Amino acid sequence: MPNKLFKHIPNAGLIFFFVLLTSFFCLFANNFSTSMNAENILAGYSFIAIIALGQMFPITARGIDLSTGSIVALAGMVIYDCMLIFELSGWVSIGLGILAATLAGALNGILIVRFNLQPFVATLATLAGYRGLVYAISGRQLYPELATTPLRDPAVKALNEFYDIGSWTGLDQFFQTPWIPVSFFVLLGVMIALFVLLTLSPYGTALKATGGNYEAARLAGLPVRTITISAYAMSGLLAGIGAVLLVSRLTTSTESLGIGMELTAIAAAVIGGTRLQGGKGNVLGPVLGAFLLGIILVGLTLMGISQFVQQMLTGGILLAAVGYDSFRTRKQA
Amino acid sequence: MSNELLLETIEVSKRFGEFVALKSANIEVRAGKVLGFVGSNGAGKSTLIRVITGAHAPSSGTVKVRGKVVEKADPALMRSLGIACIYQHSSLVSTLSVIDNIFLGRQIRNRFGLVNGKAQRKRLQEVMTQFEITVDPDEEVGRLTPVSQKEVEILKALVASADVILMDEPTAWLSLSEVKTLHATIRKLSAAGKGVVYISHVLDEVFEICNDITILRDGTMIWTGPEEDIDRPKLVNLMVGEALGEASRAAMTAERHPRGTGEVRLATKGLTKNGVFHDISFEAYAGEILCFAGLIGSRRSEVVKCLFGDDKPSSGEILSEGKAIRFKSPSAAIASGICLVPEDRHAEGLCLQHSTLENIVIPSLETLSQKSILNRQSMAEMCDRQIKGLNILPPDPHKVVGRMSGGNQQKVLLGKWIEKNPKVLILDEPTVGVDVGAKAEIYATIRKLRDTGTAVIVVSSDLEEVMTLADRILVFNKGRITSTFDGGEVDNDTLIQAIGGEEVA
Repeated sequence: MPNKLFKHIPNAGLIFFFVLLTSFFCLFANNFSTSMNAENILAGYSFIAIIALGQMFPITARGIDLSTGSIVALAGMVIYDCMLIFELSGWVSIGLGILAATLAGALNGILIVRFNLQPFVATLATLAGYRGLVYAISGRQLYPELATTPLRDPAVKALNEFYDIGSWTGLDQFFQTPWIPVSFFVLLGVMIALFVLLTLSPYGTALKATGGNYEAARLAGLPVRTITISAYAMSGLLAGIGAVLLVSRLTTSTESLGIGMELTAIAAAVIGGTRLQGGKGNVLGPVLGAFLLGIILVGLTLMGISQFVQQMLTGGILLAAVGYDSFRTRKQA
Repeated sequence: MSNELLLETIEVSKRFGEFVALKSANIEVRAGKVLGFVGSNGAGKSTLIRVITGAHAPSSGTVKVRGKVVEKADPALMRSLGIACIYQHSSLVSTLSVIDNIFLGRQIRNRFGLVNGKAQRKRLQEVMTQFEITVDPDEEVGRLTPVSQKEVEILKALVASADVILMDEPTAWLSLSEVKTLHATIRKLSAAGKGVVYISHVLDEVFEICNDITILRDGTMIWTGPEEDIDRPKLVNLMVGEALGEASRAAMTAERHPRGTGEVRLATKGLTKNGVFHDISFEAYAGEILCFAGLIGSRRSEVVKCLFGDDKPSSGEILSEGKAIRFKSPSAAIASGICLVPEDRHAEGLCLQHSTLENIVIPSLETLSQKSILNRQSMAEMCDRQIKGLNILPPDPHKVVGRMSGGNQQKVLLGKWIEKNPKVLILDEPTVGVDVGAKAEIYATIRKLRDTGTAVIVVSSDLEEVMTLADRILVFNKGRITSTFDGGEVDNDTLIQAIGGEEVA
């Protein structure tokens, strides 16, 4: 019976590892168990968790999106241009940025479905293409005098707020509570929306079926091509939302925003139990995966471990996660 | 029982260009009955299924469901009329749960457009109770046993209110006890008034489960009637055809390798793979053609895989020239001079996008290179030798193999191994999909190899081929060798009976 219960909690192993690692750093890393550090991790990794959730969609559909980092930069640059060059209002700029990201994602999907391209190749091409587009539309290049102007729009400010939940609820009487960044609330909202989409609506099953057995899904009458496009559009949309939070935090955007972020997102999604062979994914996994990577990075830094060692350890953890996944798959077969 | 006529085809034919795949098929599927289709490969079973499921439009004739003519059938329409098909290969999504698979593409929704899990569960429970099938709805399909997966597919059909369920080789991946479970389920279906069409190569199963049997050969229904009216030898005879007689007469005059003389090249003692084949003992002599005869599913290919080091037996010995060996991989078997021409030449035999030359040299790369550099000239010579020797058409070393005819593809495959001078050459169904002319050439090549002292093992389900080629015949039945014959001395009827599963002294 406990075994059965265990089976029905997805990511049980990951949650265990997460708790273990957190406890380890709380005991052995100086200043890890402070509310300041918790604030940093929450603010620094909520947007990565959102991008990782986006990455989960193409992977679940048995694809991959390598262009995520470039899409983040594209959304960031559209917001930057709209605010500083066209002087549009903050929320409109943000909306346009997210729209651009969603369209870029959908274009990935259309390339893959329409021209029958390998997702890896198609998104590798747009990884370069979208980054080039970012340079082409960069307000920093077109108007060098704007380069040092920070984004001061109230919308940007609102998204970079922290709320003292501890004092509202009275919890800070018992222990020191971290202030919660807006980006974390956005993450929670995204998680709830995606949970409804993936678990309660027919779309989730359709997406997993498309990735798990394309032919069976097609024969069951599912619009598999549309579903594939939608998976990449979701990846773009969530990369756009992540970009908004990132830009708000930095109060600016650059051409090199988000370089390499696709790898972090893929790592987080895979550590979170998204099956690279497609057909499996859930909302909690990538979020845990992203924060796990954050905790490791921050924890090791606080312990004074060199950056090279940190990267090697991150690679090792990724290997372990993928290895565990393939071990489990083989055991089933 | 109501015995209502659920589905019938009237004079249905299907042509692909000049080729007639199905001629004037008349079938009737009745409520509470199981109808069996039998026939060799290419007999038209698949075409008939495709017409019934709406995947192919018939060239002429009509399909009626519950007495009403179906116009412009397509898969979605036939499904909605209650015709469901369970294919040999699973059409389930292994990463999804049972319940998600069953309702895939037709989820019950609530008023917000979300999945109504409660209603789905209730509907599934009703169906499971009615037909006494039990599966855990939340289990992931990939974790279920093969027979449970078949039951999930049956449930999927039932939940969609299917009246007629077609099952194409449903037992291909099942063990013997699982087959019993599946048959019990099928009986429950027919007791509940569903019509079942059961397609299988395993005659035992057909006699066990079917009420009526239809035999197809070369696209024609040559016999149809109640199961009681036909016995096994008659059925096998109808399935494989009369051409056999002629082949066997010709074979009588051919010279045969005398039984049990010469050097033993490859032998097995009590070779067993649990649940697959049992106690396989034989000896293959240098300079003889040994045929493994039997029906599809009699586990000959599985035995051959073990001989070639592609699979591991559970117990028993393989002896190569008298020494016990255990190959860890095909490359070890090849090193000992054992070569295999596999059954599925597209999936296992050839690199279809590559040329004749590239395919022929693959196993000989080491002998063709000096100091790790390939010798282009010897490669070209090797390829030329085989093109001439085997009459590969077109005689162009750079022709892409995927665009060649089945017969020539098979010759390329043969040529690739001939160059290795094998001590033992195993051919699994060497002439499936090969035209008559190329067939004769392949037979001649096989005989030539025998005459140069190779021990040849031919796995064949084609009786004509067995009668033509074999010096010695081992008959396989459900994973056991049930009888042994000398090529020149056996007659058709005896062999047919033996293959059909009757004990012959």
